[in-house]
Amino acid sequence: MNCPIKTQENREWLLEYSAGRLDGERASMLERHVADCPACARFVEEQRVVWDALGQWETPELSADFNRRLYLKIDRAQPSSWLQRFWRPLVPVAALCLLIVASVVLRAPTAGLNPVPARAESVEPEQVERTLDDLQMLRELSIAPNQESKTPQPM
Amino acid sequence: MPQWVKEDMGATSLAFDGDAELMLRVKDGDGASFALLLEKYRVSVAHFLYRMVQDQPVAEELAQEVFLRVYKSRESYEPTAKFTTWLYRIATHLALNWLRDGKNERGQERLDEVTEDGPVREVADRTPTVEHQMVRRVKLDEVRQAVAALPDKQRAAVLMHKYEEMDYSQIAKVLSCSESAVKSLLFRAYETLRVRLAHMA
Repeated sequence: MNCPIKTQENREWLLEYSAGRLDGERASMLERHVADCPACARFVEEQRVVWDALGQWETPELSADFNRRLYLKIDRAQPSSWLQRFWRPLVPVAALCLLIVASVVLRAPTAGLNPVPARAESVEPEQVERTLDDLQMLRELSIAPNQESKTPQPM
Repeated sequence: MPQWVKEDMGATSLAFDGDAELMLRVKDGDGASFALLLEKYRVSVAHFLYRMVQDQPVAEELAQEVFLRVYKSRESYEPTAKFTTWLYRIATHLALNWLRDGKNERGQERLDEVTEDGPVREVADRTPTVEHQMVRRVKLDEVRQAVAALPDKQRAAVLMHKYEEMDYSQIAKVLSCSESAVKSLLFRAYETLRVRLAHMA
């Protein structure tokens, strides 16, 4: 067979052979080649070191409550009752209806409904002006008698 | 190869996929079948994720997310691939996203904390057992660091090849690439590992 390293053909055979996963005719073919090819023999030797080192990598055990936490998440992810499941699709429809009703009410003519606030707004500046005038008049009246009392009386 | 031929071949191979049948029962509302799939694959998925992200709490969270997604997508499940291919595609996707988001920084710190301050390094006596454990722990750290230093996709390919014993075709489907791309990924990854772990001979 052609050298997998030199020709790049069937390079994966070397990986599988090093891992002991290459069976049958392919394994025996490669075994014969490796016996005569120093480059491939070196590759297999080094790859087996990696393979064994990776094999020593143990992993921590799962938490005892792994399933309980998962099922809790699943419960949270799905609607809790048949009522919720029934009403949930209706929520957007209800929201749309509410929006339509609100827009109709807001666009309706308001003249006959509550005219008082509008009039109050238009009258308010006049009232303020009148009040200010009244205050000014009162001030003038309160000053006038004092001035009269201070002026000396002709004998 | 025409698409219909591929689909037909896929359907033939899936005819014997008992896991896909279980998943179809989950689709029909059978919770017991989901429990069976969970029991069968939760450890291997969690271990795969642990080796990907090298942080146990994160790996468990991601593993839970994998099974949560499996459950959530039960109604749209179609057995177009092997169940394990679908399962590991979800797991790999989550792990790669997590790594890409850079959330591994804190995990790496945690890993360093374990190696610096962990109970194994608190040498109370010098019995051969403790020394042996220390040497083993140092070797394990070297292996973990060597794997962690691999690019994310190479790491995923190596872990699926070594620990999940997947063939190139299945790894290719999980990673959504060609078989030749997988071979290339694996060769580059193992080449790096051979250099980094050569002293462990």
